[in-house]
Amino acid sequence: MSRSQRMARHVVQSLVANKGRTLLMMLGVAAGVAVLSAVIVLGQGTRERVMGLVSKHGLDMLMVRAGGEVQVFAPKSDRGLAVLFEPDARAIENEIPNVQLVSAVQNQRGITVVHEDRSVTTRGFGVEPDWMEIRRWGVAEGEFITANDMASSARVALLGARVARELFPEGGAVGRVVRVNNDPYTVTAVFIEMGTDAGGDDWDNRIVVPLTTATRRLFGRPSLEQIVIRVSDARRLPETAERVRTLLRVRHQIAPGKPDDFFVREPADVQGTALETSNTLSTSLIGVSLVALLAGGLVIMNLMLSGVTQRAGEIGLRRAVGARAADITREFLLEAVFIALLGGIVGVILGVMIAMLLSATGMGTSRVTWHPFVVAALACAAIGVGFGLHPARRAARLDPATALRGSRA
Amino acid sequence: MGIVIEVEELVKAYRKGTVVTEVLRGVSFDVRQGEFVAIMGRSGSGKSTLLNVLGFLDRPDGGRYRLLGEALTSSDDDALSDARSRKIGFVFQQFHLLDRASALDNVMLPLVYAEVDAGGAERARSLLEAVGLGNRADHLPGEMSGGEQQRVAIARALINNPVLVLADEPTGNLDEGSASDILDIFRRLSGEGRTIVLVTHDPLVAARADRVLYLDGGRLVAGRPGTVGIASAATGDATPPTAHPTA
Repeated sequence: MSRSQRMARHVVQSLVANKGRTLLMMLGVAAGVAVLSAVIVLGQGTRERVMGLVSKHGLDMLMVRAGGEVQVFAPKSDRGLAVLFEPDARAIENEIPNVQLVSAVQNQRGITVVHEDRSVTTRGFGVEPDWMEIRRWGVAEGEFITANDMASSARVALLGARVARELFPEGGAVGRVVRVNNDPYTVTAVFIEMGTDAGGDDWDNRIVVPLTTATRRLFGRPSLEQIVIRVSDARRLPETAERVRTLLRVRHQIAPGKPDDFFVREPADVQGTALETSNTLSTSLIGVSLVALLAGGLVIMNLMLSGVTQRAGEIGLRRAVGARAADITREFLLEAVFIALLGGIVGVILGVMIAMLLSATGMGTSRVTWHPFVVAALACAAIGVGFGLHPARRAARLDPATALRGSRA
Repeated sequence: MGIVIEVEELVKAYRKGTVVTEVLRGVSFDVRQGEFVAIMGRSGSGKSTLLNVLGFLDRPDGGRYRLLGEALTSSDDDALSDARSRKIGFVFQQFHLLDRASALDNVMLPLVYAEVDAGGAERARSLLEAVGLGNRADHLPGEMSGGEQQRVAIARALINNPVLVLADEPTGNLDEGSASDILDIFRRLSGEGRTIVLVTHDPLVAARADRVLYLDGGRLVAGRPGTVGIASAATGDATPPTAHPTA
């Protein structure tokens, strides 16, 4: 056995010999870690639920529309204001933090799509490859617009579910050729059914083409109707919106006091508040668990301090047979860390169980990840060292001769 | 045989607030290798303090102490710990065994802090054999008699092959038979060249030593002080310690 193995063995023996005290110290830490890991598990669950809300309600999306605020309420005709361009989209993408995905968007009503003897008039969209992800849409069959489609301004069309149904009642639209405003386009995808959104737009009644195809062929103009933006952190969305506004005012050379020639639309405030609330809640719960951990640490420290007195004889003996002061410090610290780790293991199990129980009774949402385990391990080691140091030092400072007189080993 | 212990004019005082208690007031003696020396004296005569100084558990305030010609008393705490580990074996009145550790583990305890452990378990077993406990190696202290526990403690004191064994009232908690066994072991060790210094207040124990040093009031005295009962003991208490001649 190596020197440290021999020491570890003695430490374990000593912990076993003082079962009662070991158990008490463990429980102190276990309680703290239990609260901490329950908070983490519940926090992760809440976070996931909130992320669900975010994606369902598009809480992480900003939309920039061409035309000032007044225009937003204009009738559903296309406004045709040539103020927003693709370089605006690239500037937003490159210059503003918290921006994850950007797509420039063109759209225009009255696009005629024909297949054999069937014809529909619908709304056409020119978009970039990230658009589908930002709008959280998906294709039922086929493939969304690719970088290649963009580079070659490919004549490809993606059909909304209703458009596909009307042109291809038998199905099998993908791979077929349709005429869009009299030009042949290959159908590369059919979107999944989406229905009508809160603004009254029927998503299934659309066709989508690559942005470059739209600017060069279908619409034949460079101006955009929208830029859609996905942010990384939904909680910082208002701040990001403000930065977008400032950037565009500078790019559009709008003098102070003049109104914007664009409008940045943010998601409804109510849901933003829900995000804030979940945030504050987990912050305060983490505060509670830190207090619990601290209490656990104090329990360890106090019991170890009384242990130093009780075990004075043993400490004296160890010094007499050659232990250096540093050896005694190390042994006591090792004991504290052992106990804290054991308490941590018990605490994580307890905490995860508490969280599961709470979510089973509908009082929260839990999600078990590796986080509580890592956090607990780190917290325990820190507690062991932090709160064990004072008693360990005191033990090491005991005068060996006095300690030996003190009591039996 | 060479000189193991050289002590010259050793002085030690304890301060508690403003009160200074002089425990050793100039003690001088030598011990040769293999000698079995007993230190006698009443409680408070300074014999335990002297033993602690000899064992590097305490530092003297004045005078010189050399172990095998080496003066260590002014070295740092770690050097003293190492000296205890390599050169000294302690035996205590209360045995000071670890309750939950087997006899063998107790004997091996000093190895936790020693530099070398090669063959430690075998050496520990042979030491237990030597004190007659070869078949009790796995027993816990609670399963042994006082005499057996003290023999384990002696084996522990010998594990690092020390030049000097210091024993503080080693038979104080033992019945006569066990005490005699312990003293036999010390005699044998002395015969093998091991130097033994033992503190006792029991004249029968001291009688087994090669030489007896009498401490009184912090000084060595020529004979055994206070031998004739209460009257003389009372006189001893009334007389200032300085009145006694130094050895």
